[in-house]
Amino acid sequence: MADVLNQPPYPTVLKPYGQSLVELAKERDEVVCFSGDLTRQCEIDLFAEAFPDRFIHAGMAEANMIGMAAALARDGFVPFVHTFGVFATRRPLDQIINAVAFPNLKVRILGFMPGVSSPGGPSHQAIDDVALMRAIPNLTVLDVADAVEVRQVPRAIVDVDGPVYVRLKRGEIPVIFGDEHRLSLDRADVLTPLGGVVALLASGMMLASALAAARVLEAHGVSVTVVNVPVIKPLDAATVTEVAGAARAVVTAENHTVVGGLGTAVAEVLAEAGLGRPLRRVGLRDTFAEGAKTAPYLFGRYGLSTQASIDAAWAALGKTVHVPVAEVAPAEEGEYAPV
Amino acid sequence: MAHVSDPGTHWTAGDPARLATLIRLRAVRMVAPHGFGYLGQALSSAEQVAALFAVMTPGEDRLVCSPGHYVIGIFAAAAELGLLDEDAVSTYGQDGSHIEAIGTERSPVADYVCGSLGQGLSGAVGFALSDRLRHKRRRTFALLSDGELEEGQVWEAAMFAGHHRLDRLTVLLDANNSQVDGPVDAITTIEPIKAKWEAFGWAAHDIDGHDVGAVIEGLTMAGDAKQPSVLINRTSTAHGLRCLPPDADGHFIKLPPELAARAEAELTAELERLHG
Repeated sequence: MADVLNQPPYPTVLKPYGQSLVELAKERDEVVCFSGDLTRQCEIDLFAEAFPDRFIHAGMAEANMIGMAAALARDGFVPFVHTFGVFATRRPLDQIINAVAFPNLKVRILGFMPGVSSPGGPSHQAIDDVALMRAIPNLTVLDVADAVEVRQVPRAIVDVDGPVYVRLKRGEIPVIFGDEHRLSLDRADVLTPLGGVVALLASGMMLASALAAARVLEAHGVSVTVVNVPVIKPLDAATVTEVAGAARAVVTAENHTVVGGLGTAVAEVLAEAGLGRPLRRVGLRDTFAEGAKTAPYLFGRYGLSTQASIDAAWAALGKTVHVPVAEVAPAEEGEYAPV
Repeated sequence: MAHVSDPGTHWTAGDPARLATLIRLRAVRMVAPHGFGYLGQALSSAEQVAALFAVMTPGEDRLVCSPGHYVIGIFAAAAELGLLDEDAVSTYGQDGSHIEAIGTERSPVADYVCGSLGQGLSGAVGFALSDRLRHKRRRTFALLSDGELEEGQVWEAAMFAGHHRLDRLTVLLDANNSQVDGPVDAITTIEPIKAKWEAFGWAAHDIDGHDVGAVIEGLTMAGDAKQPSVLINRTSTAHGLRCLPPDADGHFIKLPPELAARAEAELTAELERLHG
């Protein structure tokens, strides 16, 4: 496999997105940056300092922010719009649909704090953003896995001919891939050898736990083909059918409700290809989460742990006993390891 | 107790100035185990929350908390008044606790708590409308923050309430000039707040939100108004706690152990002064 993968606990970096957006803006005058009152939290304090004239603070007014961004896109600007994922997708949904998606404008919507990475409770946890954005025609939807991918996001999406939604983890971002890794909008990455008994497809923050689950399963004699799926729409159906076709069972893992996101997208591909494979979807089980102190607690409680992926693979293979047990890698300050 | 309007709910408010200080002290103790949190919201709203518990009819009137981050002050008051179990309050914001730091649907005390900003007034308008449909004279109080005025939905609700002259509805607007990115007036000009609400058909009163007597008077007066009322309470996210550094982030105050200890000592001394 071409990709070199680090081992957990992963080193982390700070603000890879914010730095990368500034680098892009140096070369591209048409890039403008919108903030919805979470400037530092969305790493665009860096943009505001570098390009104050192209930084637009819209206040807490998401519907208006999207409407303005859409008009700037009509005039040839490429607006990058930033707030938390919940506020980026739920509040201005009608504006995204009518002002941005229908006219197929180059508005880039960046939603921070995906899924239960936020301990702020249901109002702050974007557990349905992928489903909402995926349902809208013309949108491209990304959920990237690590800092190497995050850094490449601005450049990868700036020229997409239509609107793009990206969910981004906030704060310390793990470095899973080697520097040579390339974020592709066209194909998913097969990270472990093709032909695994289980095809394990993961997006975003779930890649780390998918890799950890695969290691445990391999140690118990179950080969796993791990696939990183940074682009949920348009989904790389060819890779999905290839890895699923070679496997006996399929597992998807997403930091999102199992309704309407990666798991649903994979199910659609399998069904349309006539590919009958037992499928288990790891994600929130059609439930709201809750406010808490820490994200790892929520990943455990809502079935997003490494163990949840192991259990899912075991169940998908029809096995009921001797379930392998995940070893949780301890992470020091400044490191990241999945629970 | 689940909610303030639940039949049979009782409390005795006592001295509202003292309750405001107790809210601050309790909020410090709730935030201290985390080292940071929504203490600024409790500091700016303490007098308003104390005034609410002085004016609301227990077991009847309804309370909506629009900015969910403000439930800390309401929880603190409820704990002081014996409405909320102290052990439960001490789990504020912890893993597994139903006393969540940003209020949610399952938060006790207030009848309706929103976590996503700008939505509470619509709920309060709906409650007032429901009471009108059922010929109930009870009041609905809504706590809003000034940053929320940036959200269009607030004005949709205000326009509806003004048009329908929902006179049993009273808004406490915490005008602390604070939002995540800094002072509200540095991001969006929301002034003149009073003239805006008046233009939407509301009785509006600009008052010192840390003068608990003035807030109580405003709430009482609003009960006799022939239209919905809003009290624009001018406040600060640092009020009543001198030991906070001048550059404290009002939305999310850092409270390391040493500062928490000083805050607790300062507020304890203030309570003794009020007692004496």
